[in-house]
Amino acid sequence: MEELMQALSINREGKALVLSLHGEVDFLNAASVTEAIAAALAQARPARVRVDLSEVTFLDSSGIGVLVSAMRAATDASASFQVERPDAAILDQLNGVGLTEAFGLAGAQVSTPVEEPVDRAPAVGEDR
Amino acid sequence: MEQDYRQRLAEIDAAVARARLDPVMLVERAAALLAGRVGCRVDETHAYLLRRAAKQGRAVAEVAGEVLATVESRAGGSHGGDLALDELVRPHPQPAPRRRPRRSTGAAGAGAWGAMMQQVFDGLPGNHLAMLPVRNDDGGEIVDFRIVAVSPETVDFSGRAAGQMVGLTMTQSYPALPDELWQAWRGAVADGQPREVGPMPYTGAGDRSPADVVISARIQPVGPGLMATWVRHDEQTRLAERIAQIERLGNLGWGEADLVSGHNTWSQELYRIYERDPALGPLTGEEQDALLLAEDEPVRRQAAEAFGRGETMDLTYRIRIGGRIKHLRTVLDAVRDVHGRPIKFYGITQDLTAQETNRARLTEVEALLREHQRELAAEHALTAQLQQIVLPVPAEPFDLPHLRVAVRYLPAEEASRVGGDWFHADTTDDGSVVLAVGDVAGHGIHAATVMAQLRHLLAGLTVTATSDPAELLDHLNRLLYRVGMTATAVVARYEPHTRVIRWAQAGHPAPLHTRAGTTARLQRPRGVLLGALPTARYDTATLPLHPGDLLLFYTDGLIERRHGPADAGLAEVIAALNDISTSGSHEPLANLLARLRRANADDDTCILAVRHHRFPGPAQPRQDGHGHA
Repeated sequence: MEELMQALSINREGKALVLSLHGEVDFLNAASVTEAIAAALAQARPARVRVDLSEVTFLDSSGIGVLVSAMRAATDASASFQVERPDAAILDQLNGVGLTEAFGLAGAQVSTPVEEPVDRAPAVGEDR
Repeated sequence: MEQDYRQRLAEIDAAVARARLDPVMLVERAAALLAGRVGCRVDETHAYLLRRAAKQGRAVAEVAGEVLATVESRAGGSHGGDLALDELVRPHPQPAPRRRPRRSTGAAGAGAWGAMMQQVFDGLPGNHLAMLPVRNDDGGEIVDFRIVAVSPETVDFSGRAAGQMVGLTMTQSYPALPDELWQAWRGAVADGQPREVGPMPYTGAGDRSPADVVISARIQPVGPGLMATWVRHDEQTRLAERIAQIERLGNLGWGEADLVSGHNTWSQELYRIYERDPALGPLTGEEQDALLLAEDEPVRRQAAEAFGRGETMDLTYRIRIGGRIKHLRTVLDAVRDVHGRPIKFYGITQDLTAQETNRARLTEVEALLREHQRELAAEHALTAQLQQIVLPVPAEPFDLPHLRVAVRYLPAEEASRVGGDWFHADTTDDGSVVLAVGDVAGHGIHAATVMAQLRHLLAGLTVTATSDPAELLDHLNRLLYRVGMTATAVVARYEPHTRVIRWAQAGHPAPLHTRAGTTARLQRPRGVLLGALPTARYDTATLPLHPGDLLLFYTDGLIERRHGPADAGLAEVIAALNDISTSGSHEPLANLLARLRRANADDDTCILAVRHHRFPGPAQPRQDGHGHA
């Protein structure tokens, strides 16, 4: 339970449900986070679901599975789905599994203090 | 080998460093170290650290770190700094050469000294008092002493609590103090040497004071003043000391029974332990015995017998109160007359229920952990079996039209993480070859089951429906979406008559292609992770193969580390491919697989290496490796 609380916080912003993930989302906490997200959606019935990744440091394939499950749950509830503010490495990873478009991240901006549009995911440590 | 060893060493160092910084570890170590130095129980020093941190409004770990740094760096000398700690570590200062007493005591300095001494007393067991000399107008003779700090649990002869005593002078408050004591105090201030006085009689002045008590005092010059420690040698003292102990240890209550007067007394704590309203007065011995669990009756009787022989009784037993079981320990002592017959009982009872409950819970958790480990081991064995059944990995390279293929499967080192990597390499009805590698998200039996489904579906489809990579991925995507799992995969079809590879991928790392000593990652056609979308489009790309070309399909365990760049191991793999493609080896695939190590031992790794025949065509002699049938 404590792990779950650390990995996920849920906020309502108008008609949108903002799911903020934190730290490492991996096979250790994926199941509980997925469950919590499904429960939150069923209760809140939002028009939009936004997933904030700005504080995520690591995702494994199960972590990506969490995002996919959230997208399915949103779609099932007729809510729009949007993933926001992945860092460069995670955007690269989402690119790798071909999900940037489905997650509304096509032509996405990387969450850095100075945000500028990028055509592709910049490599870690690349001069910007 | 040596590199592996170095890395392991580095990992151990890192783990040790992390453990060192672990706040829980810090506190435990500090408590243990202090307990060793002071010679008291660890839970007492632990409580001391907590108290201190709370008082200073700081994190316990921070205080513990400070304590560790202080205690570990010090070889017994005290160099300013934390006096409280000093005193706690050495509660009985040696009467050896001490600090010279200072003659002048500025008011500001005296206040700070009092505060510091109070801090010392707050952490120190016993009854102590710090006082500063008060001198006559010309600053010479000491005419009185003013109390500036008192141990928190101290109650003086007149029943004043510690807080009320601070600020008082000795002549005002205790006019009847024996001369002996005054001389000792003045002497200690003058020569800076500690002293012990007494035992001596003291007659109180106030109406609340006891008629006569016997006291002795230990006097220790500290800085500008004196630290005085009192011991009272009367019955009240015994009681007061017991109260102090009770307060320190917690969860304790005391009671006494005067056999002569028939009068019983219980402390508040004892009422609390027995959940009894103090207004009702103490339970009688019979009433207490009635609460005892029947199973513990023999133990009690045995203890009572020993008590009858004049021994101190120490009994651990259970009582039932309000339907709940309480675990208690009672130490019973007696004042006896000249014939050894008890005239008064003193009992201290400790409520051990919390400890017992914790112990029971720990045992429960341990059992659960063992059970969990058994389940994990069983699951690992089952997963490994399942993998053997659905994914028999050929030990030797094998031949398909124009291609020689070698497979390596490295299960994750940790049992619970064995998962869903798979491969496929076989001919189809239309004469083409289908090659595939995939990775089901997650670990354990569920991932392995889905892996089996995927692999069987793919094998079935290539025989009955299609060998087109994009169509195959489309089918796999539908299956996965239905079961609610995700996976990545790359599927390729080689057509011997065109010598072209056509391939598609679903969120999977691009295969590596090596030609004449140069390796490149293939440009990936579009394709989303399997199971993410109900319908997905998979594009295909083509690659004409030349004789001697190498293709490496793999899952991400080969190149990805959990922390660090996503393709940390890629350069090493590319170097191996480049070397082997130009080495002229007779067994290039076997050499390649022998050289490849996964980057991530936490993850499954599946490698499928393919070499195009130098002289393609079924009638050509094989150049690659030994005469494999």
